[in-house]
Amino acid sequence: MKVLVAIKRVIDYNVKIRVKSDHSDVDLTNVKMAMNPFCEIAVEEAVRLKEKGVATEVVVVTIGPKAAQEQLRTALALGADRAIHVETDLRVESLGAARALAKIVEEQQPGLVILGKQAIDTDNNQTGQMLAALTGLPQGTFASEVAVEDGRLRVTREIDGGLETLELTLPAIVTTDLRLNEPRYAKLPDIMKAKKKPLEVRTPADLGVELASRIKLLKVEPPAERQAGIKVGSVDELIDKLKNEAKVIS
Amino acid sequence: MEAEALVTSLRNQLVDLLGQDTVVTEPHDHEPYCRDWHGDMTSAAVAVLRPRDTGEVAAAVRACRTLDLDIVAQGGNTGLVLGALPDRPERQVVLSLERMRHIRSIDEADFSAIVEAGCVLEELKLGLEERGLFFPLTLGAQGSCRIGGNVSTNAGGVNVLRYGMTRELVLGLEVVLADGSVWDGLSTLRKDNRGIDLKQLFIGAEGTLGIITAVAIKLSPLPERIETALLGVGDLHTAIALYRHARRACCDLVSAFEFMPPSAFTLAREAQPDLPLPIAIDYPAYVLIEISSSGLIDAKQLMEGLLEQAMEESLVLDGVIATSQAQARQLWAIREGMNEGQALRGPHLRTDVSVPLSRLAAFVAEIGAELDDALPQCLAVAYGHVGDGNVHLNVLPPAGATLAERHTLIEQAKKMINFRLDHYHGSFSAEHGIGRLKRDEFEHWISPVHRRLLEALKRAIDPEYRLNPGCQLPPITAR
Repeated sequence: MKVLVAIKRVIDYNVKIRVKSDHSDVDLTNVKMAMNPFCEIAVEEAVRLKEKGVATEVVVVTIGPKAAQEQLRTALALGADRAIHVETDLRVESLGAARALAKIVEEQQPGLVILGKQAIDTDNNQTGQMLAALTGLPQGTFASEVAVEDGRLRVTREIDGGLETLELTLPAIVTTDLRLNEPRYAKLPDIMKAKKKPLEVRTPADLGVELASRIKLLKVEPPAERQAGIKVGSVDELIDKLKNEAKVIS
Repeated sequence: MEAEALVTSLRNQLVDLLGQDTVVTEPHDHEPYCRDWHGDMTSAAVAVLRPRDTGEVAAAVRACRTLDLDIVAQGGNTGLVLGALPDRPERQVVLSLERMRHIRSIDEADFSAIVEAGCVLEELKLGLEERGLFFPLTLGAQGSCRIGGNVSTNAGGVNVLRYGMTRELVLGLEVVLADGSVWDGLSTLRKDNRGIDLKQLFIGAEGTLGIITAVAIKLSPLPERIETALLGVGDLHTAIALYRHARRACCDLVSAFEFMPPSAFTLAREAQPDLPLPIAIDYPAYVLIEISSSGLIDAKQLMEGLLEQAMEESLVLDGVIATSQAQARQLWAIREGMNEGQALRGPHLRTDVSVPLSRLAAFVAEIGAELDDALPQCLAVAYGHVGDGNVHLNVLPPAGATLAERHTLIEQAKKMINFRLDHYHGSFSAEHGIGRLKRDEFEHWISPVHRRLLEALKRAIDPEYRLNPGCQLPPITAR
């Protein structure tokens, strides 16, 4: 079975986000970028399926700028077999990404598609669901456990009330939740090998998809800064401030 | 009873001279100031003084002179050699700089800042990072230690190989002297050869010559890309060859190069049981390497290129490169968890030795074999900032050992290490200082000329021996 994994290059989740001074966007100049953490989990799951003998090939795909090949190489180092890069400098929204991925699914005919449940840059949580709708494939979202049994996919999902287990026919779409697995580290010999693995570059035009965004980003505002606390000299002063300044007691 | 009354009277007089707000009088409240970082030692003091600015420090020093009290200056109290722990409770005060934590100025064009001695290192670093500036001093205690203490001990840490010890990061100092006068040496000039560079006297003096109240620090551009890798290597000798290779291959952009034995994983996991193991744990030795860059230099390409070469030349057997900051932190957690793991195994010998890098591997192999031979019941661990020729060679007594047995084993191991160290022209204190803990070793080691120079300095600058007596050299009664 061929497994297709979609990944995204995003700002490293430990980086402190800065907003551009004109509030037009998040400032990405010289900021550490990394693979979206949920996508790392997706790659890890696909590689584990291959190690179990369930998957025969792991294909990793991304849509993004040239620099996103860095994340494809990381996925190849983690164990993916080959990579497809749909190159664009446009800001891609969920539906655009899902349309491009649907074309790739059509071409590659994978038995299973794994995506992160959301990317931590825009937190949309839609691409997997949209891809399922566009391809007409069954979907198991927020997976915390995935198993292939007798040609069917068993997906355990984390829902508000507890765990829900679904059985899906293959091919299917799965989106990963945080507890599905613990991603491995890229090993040095594998990083070297990854440089020689095939990476195919495609354009939105040759896939026949339009990626131009229909959503306009108007403004980015950082969260309001918390004001520093003050020390009060006495209980009376505290009560006075709670009454007259904070107005939380009367 | 009489002694107690005297101490109470001194406390009251300090309050009269300096005010209630500056003097901590309750012995109960002295506890955090009179305990060493490991919690192995506790002491007491007449009082703890907490001045708010340089003028108040000077006033405190004058008050102590009036009352004939000695002064132990203290920063974050994270030192490892009891340099800031009072040892004569009836006549010493602790002077804590913890309230002096203002950043007086930051100059982005000069890449310099003037900060007060009580600034917590980590807070200072984070504040500067906001402005794209980097203060390179990086060490385990940075969440608590204070810049005045860092300067007074000439602190080292993990970035020394690229940026130097604290001494190399100091441009100027403001110091309150033993007579209460203030020396303003807060220059931010990089080049200034007007005579003897006086600030150097106070760096690493552990508060014995003056009380540092503010520091002009040298800053660097903030590294924007940091690449971290954990490598399995054949032995310490290969690790040092790898370091040599890395310096050349990366044009000195290696910012950390830490050596660890395989027992690092066991020790770290004793402290943090859920720490992931990113690499097979049966290689003979490990290296944690960090390359950092800013601007146009691609640290990632540099790291991958370096390690590819190193694997071809068999300097590296295996390794993992962190792909995110989260993974990088996990790799450092192993190195840092080692310290906690050792602490959990009870009192043990902690050393901080350095030998010339070219002879480090031979030294560690020789002393390791000697320790295994003479003290087979103990676990000897060698790890540390190998790039600087600095190794923490620690000896952990067996789990069942009593305190007395531990003490004997520790003393025995220390003697063996110091003896071997002398042969290798090494230092028994690479970065921790002398304090009170290593005073005897220091006295034993220094030559008569060395001693005469140190005493001449002390007499000239602190003639009444009021500042941190008993630290570095035995207390001398000069009055």
